[in-house]
Amino acid sequence: MEVLREKVEEEEAAEREEAAERAERARTEKMTRPVEVRKEETTLTQETLRDLEKKLSEIQIPVSAELPAFTKDTIDISMLPVSYKTNTPKEEQLLQLADNFSRQYSHLCPDRVPLFLHPLNECEVPKFVSTTLRPTLMPYPELYNWDSCAEFVSDFLTMVPLPDPLKPPSHLYSSTTVLKYQKGNCFDFSTLLCSMLIGSGYDAYCVNGYGSQDLCHMDLTREVCPLTVKPKETIKREEKVLPKKYTIRPPRDLCSRFEQEQEMKRQQEIRAQEEKRLKEEEERLMEAEKASPDALHGLRVHSWVLVLSGKREVPENFFIDPFTARSYSTQDEHFLGIESLWNHRNYWINMQDCWNCCKDLIFDLGDPVRWEYMLLGTDKPELSLTEDDSGINDEDDVENLDKQDEDKSFDMPHSWVEQIEISPEAFETRCPNGQKVIQYKRAKLEKWAPYLNRNGLVSRLTTYEDLACTNILEIKEWYQNREDMLELKHINKTTDLKTDYFKPGHPHALRVHSYKSMQPEMDRVIEFYETARVDGLIKREETPETMTEYYQGRSDFLFYRHADFGPRVKKLTLSSTESNPRPIVKITEQFFRNPAKPAEEDVAERVFLVTEERIQLRYHCREDHITASKREFLRRSEVDSKGNKIIMTPDMCVTFEVEPMEHTKKLLYQYETLMHLKKEEKLSRHQVWESELEVLEILKLREEEEEVHTLTVSIYDTKRNEKSKEYREAMERVMHEEHLRQMETQLDYLAPFLVQLAPGEKLTRWQAVRLKDECLSDFKQRLINKANLIQARFEKETQELQKKQQWYQENQVTLTPEDEDQYLSYCSQAMFRIRILEQRLNRHKELAPLKYLALEEKLHKDPRLGELPKMFT
Amino acid sequence: MNRLYDSMEPRVIDDGMLKLAVGEQGPQEEAGELAKQEGILFKDVLSLQLDFRNILRIDNLWQFENLRKLQLDNNIIEKIEGLESLTHLVWLDLSFNNIETIEGLDTLVNLEDLSLFNNRISNIDSLDALVKLQVLSLGNNQIDNMMNIIYLRRFRCLRTLSLSGNPVSEAEDYKMFICAYLPDLVYLDFRRIDDHTKEVAEAKHHYSIEELKHRENLMQARLEEEQARREELEKHKTAFVEHLNGSFLFDSMYAEDSEGNKLSSLPGVSELLEAYRDKFVIICVNIFEYGLKQQEKRKTELDTFNECVHEAIQENQEQGKRKIAKFEEKHLMSLSAIREELEMPNIEKMILECSADISELFDALMTLEMQLVEQLEETINMFERNIVDLVGLFIENVQSLMAQCRDLENHHHEKLLEISISTLEKAVKGDLDEDLSEDVRALFVDKDTIVNAVGASHDIHLLKIDNREDELVTRINSWCTRLVDKIHRDEIMRNRKRVKEINLYIDHMKSELDNLEYSDILD
Repeated sequence: MEVLREKVEEEEAAEREEAAERAERARTEKMTRPVEVRKEETTLTQETLRDLEKKLSEIQIPVSAELPAFTKDTIDISMLPVSYKTNTPKEEQLLQLADNFSRQYSHLCPDRVPLFLHPLNECEVPKFVSTTLRPTLMPYPELYNWDSCAEFVSDFLTMVPLPDPLKPPSHLYSSTTVLKYQKGNCFDFSTLLCSMLIGSGYDAYCVNGYGSQDLCHMDLTREVCPLTVKPKETIKREEKVLPKKYTIRPPRDLCSRFEQEQEMKRQQEIRAQEEKRLKEEEERLMEAEKASPDALHGLRVHSWVLVLSGKREVPENFFIDPFTARSYSTQDEHFLGIESLWNHRNYWINMQDCWNCCKDLIFDLGDPVRWEYMLLGTDKPELSLTEDDSGINDEDDVENLDKQDEDKSFDMPHSWVEQIEISPEAFETRCPNGQKVIQYKRAKLEKWAPYLNRNGLVSRLTTYEDLACTNILEIKEWYQNREDMLELKHINKTTDLKTDYFKPGHPHALRVHSYKSMQPEMDRVIEFYETARVDGLIKREETPETMTEYYQGRSDFLFYRHADFGPRVKKLTLSSTESNPRPIVKITEQFFRNPAKPAEEDVAERVFLVTEERIQLRYHCREDHITASKREFLRRSEVDSKGNKIIMTPDMCVTFEVEPMEHTKKLLYQYETLMHLKKEEKLSRHQVWESELEVLEILKLREEEEEVHTLTVSIYDTKRNEKSKEYREAMERVMHEEHLRQMETQLDYLAPFLVQLAPGEKLTRWQAVRLKDECLSDFKQRLINKANLIQARFEKETQELQKKQQWYQENQVTLTPEDEDQYLSYCSQAMFRIRILEQRLNRHKELAPLKYLALEEKLHKDPRLGELPKMFT
Repeated sequence: MNRLYDSMEPRVIDDGMLKLAVGEQGPQEEAGELAKQEGILFKDVLSLQLDFRNILRIDNLWQFENLRKLQLDNNIIEKIEGLESLTHLVWLDLSFNNIETIEGLDTLVNLEDLSLFNNRISNIDSLDALVKLQVLSLGNNQIDNMMNIIYLRRFRCLRTLSLSGNPVSEAEDYKMFICAYLPDLVYLDFRRIDDHTKEVAEAKHHYSIEELKHRENLMQARLEEEQARREELEKHKTAFVEHLNGSFLFDSMYAEDSEGNKLSSLPGVSELLEAYRDKFVIICVNIFEYGLKQQEKRKTELDTFNECVHEAIQENQEQGKRKIAKFEEKHLMSLSAIREELEMPNIEKMILECSADISELFDALMTLEMQLVEQLEETINMFERNIVDLVGLFIENVQSLMAQCRDLENHHHEKLLEISISTLEKAVKGDLDEDLSEDVRALFVDKDTIVNAVGASHDIHLLKIDNREDELVTRINSWCTRLVDKIHRDEIMRNRKRVKEINLYIDHMKSELDNLEYSDILD
């Protein structure tokens, strides 16, 4: 096999050397640059390194002060299966192959770093990296797609930095161990993620390469938090309408064009200046944000996952950083170079130049010039896109791995790693201890497992004003499983405005509630799910002096109501139970057009000026009109000179009608309208008052909910649902008791006596008889003892009762009523006990002979005592 | 009932009675006082009750145009009359009278509830106009024919019916029959019809109802067909080419042409006639199709025009509305400022400012309107030109097609003349065909007669063609002038209305300001 391999090597030697040379050149170039940098600061290098180390150790500890090191002595290897501790012959063969390959490689490319081929596992056994991948399809539908998968891995594991940031680790643990201890370095991360992705059908690879400092340290502080990025609004393109044949000509424009142009020029200048200023500002900011140059830039070893296009409808190649679960394009500048990559079948070495990061890399693994493969035969068929190759490619799922490659020189042995398993509890808890903190640029994201916080908090995003994260700009808190359907709480620290968002299902149909304080009659906006409300209310805005309500879909066509309040009149009465509502100064109501009524009778707006006793009506505008009818009522009831009450006079109603009508001029009509409006006014005032009450109620309810914050539990959640848990436990208890009872019935009477004899010995007849007699006499004794015991208790009770009675008769005269009561109750209880004891005694007497006979019968049939002839009994 | 009023004379509804009733039944208390002050117009009354008044004859109700509910029960009315003008009536009660036939209800199309309880009616009919009828009470009458019920099937909204106390209700099948034939009925004789009864009834009368339904459906289908045909013809008429999609014109040419018909029996003429007819019909159909196409063109032209004008007016109105809204906002502010101001000179100044604002608004609105008028005028003129051109083109083409018809006719005439002359020659020679009828033979006496006969036939044909052409041209021309006139008139009307509206509004604003002035001075 090696011979074959060497042959191939020889054949390709020419071009390989060429490629290697190129790579070499590039590498040296690349290497020299940082070296030069170091040369300039040679005196500083040690310090910077130390500084860096210090900084790193600060950053990298999201979970307390626990040792980040994940060394061998913390791992219990005794329980691990054999495949972890030894190598199969096939694996040995593979390792030899790998060694040979490595030797040839180092011979041909002496300038490149040694390959990362077979690190030691947790049992100090060398294992080939491809066999460490264990493709597994997770049983959770959430983990079927790459993004959720990556997110899970990044949440589930705690990041541990590489022991030497410039070298691949000496150990690569199995994914099972990593999952068990929930921590690992970048290689552990990408191995686990890659296993899961291959398992769910992606064309994924582990990559050993070089990453930026931020990437290697899981440092997101220079990244914008994805949650804060606002989705870009799509700009609608306005379609130009072609002018129709008879479209009227616009009136002649009488403005001077020259002046317009001048004006435009001036505006442009101003704008240009403004833009320039903004740009400068931005540049300044960018400068400030830029990181200090990294001395080890381009040398830091990192491992990530590459997903190639083709499978699972992936349109193009991309990288996934397993630490942060973010996807990057293959051109991203965080990824500085690739040494090698592998999946569960093969291992490829990058022979391309990485002088321009990964931007120029071509991920055509079938191209032997660009990618040197290790195992012949399992090569990627991408270069030769023949029919049957792609057919095989489509089929190669995890299940039929071993079906193919019959004609190929060497198969990758099966993975030595055990099946990767994640328990549902662990899956739900996700992060170690159920919590995780991520620091972004000007933002901090905290995550918790559901039900971990008593108030249902699952994540919190804190946005800061400055890079140092000292001034909080706003806080967003997401909740889950809340009984009050609270979904998101948004606190804006600069304006102090709090906004609560609710899911459908709140008892008051709340959707959004934004406020500055929970005190009533303050600035607040409450939005509702209007379909859940009878009155169709969408939104209610409040300020200290006004309340505005917006409606939708009402049968009376009301869509807007605005109430102005005056200062509260001080009441002298002290009765605090009676509420003292603010006096209403003005109510404005607006209505949609009611198509059933003619426009001049359909009120568009009515204003009740309560204090001025005036009512203003504005009607809808007819389609071919530009003015709308108006009517104003003064409803002062006055008395005329003779002392008679004036019912209605023409000047009490000021009317403007677009098309004067006859019947509306009549006082009777006006009077009736006025009466109707008065009634309506009363109703509207009542409505406003009720709205106020409702706000109070909502505020009270919200406060209560905030305090209690009960969480709902799905009926399918068997672990948390208390009721079902109780029920289940009760069932279990019943089962247990039943079991015990059954055990009891099978009690062995003979056991204590058989013990006396030597085990395994066959009973002689004499022994059997003696055993039986002993057993019976013992049972008889027990029965008698029991009878005696009951008898003794009975007597004791009777004696005590007698004593008490005696005492009572002696002291009867001097007794207080309480004592007498006590005595009487005692008597009745004692009598009850005596009676019970008596009953038990009688029952015992009845049953004892029967029990005795039953035992005798049983013993008689017992096979251990052998066939006791009846005559001996 | 009548016994109570036996002492009273039979009466006719007169003005006094009506005034009294309206006064009694009008608004009460405060509103009543107001009503009394002003007086109530009969046409404002919505509901009137005239019961137990011994009325014999209904009269003087024509003023109650808007009446919705009229009660005339418990009188001695014998004939339903004088209700023609009460077209808004919804509720009519004529129970407990002496009516014998249903009549005089043909104008009451809105009637929903009709009570004729306890009268002397023997036959249900003359209710055809009452399409919205929901409740019909005909109890205690003398209806004795079950077939009357089938008459009620035409009232689709009828839900409540009472017929008890009629001879017909004695029949044992009465209830089942009604339930079966009036399946939408909900209440019969003041009782709800339960579903079970309905099912049983339907099962019982299944066959006869199916037959009835079938007949009704046939009738309906025929009516619809007729309707469709009428619509089609109407459509052709608007295109001015009706009856040109066939041989109608050709047939009409020969309808009054006795000579032509006689001559057609000559040998060779029938073939000639056949060919002629085919060619003629083809030209007619051409005209027809061209006419429809042109009609479509004119219609789209008109639609585009209307749409554009509508858009322009809407846009203009929006601008006007915006201006008014802006003004009103400002105006309200300044009015309240004036009310609060105490210094007299200041008030005067502000009022002056206000009136300046008002006139400014007036100017602005009027400018807008004038601008619109100019724009519309231009557009209308353009449209006029285009439509006249279209019509002219249409007429020209139709005329050329008609000329083809005439050519055909001339050609035919020549051919016919030839045949006639040759036949005459034969006749002179005496070897005329035996099978020619006597009156045809009569034409072949001499050359003049036959030439005259053929000429007369030709003249008639030409006349017909000319008439058809003239009719088409006059009609389309008059349509065109009417259309253009209407557009101009509408535009003028619109302009006047708008100017009036603006003036009214401005006047109102001014008078409001004046009132304010007075009240301030008074204060």
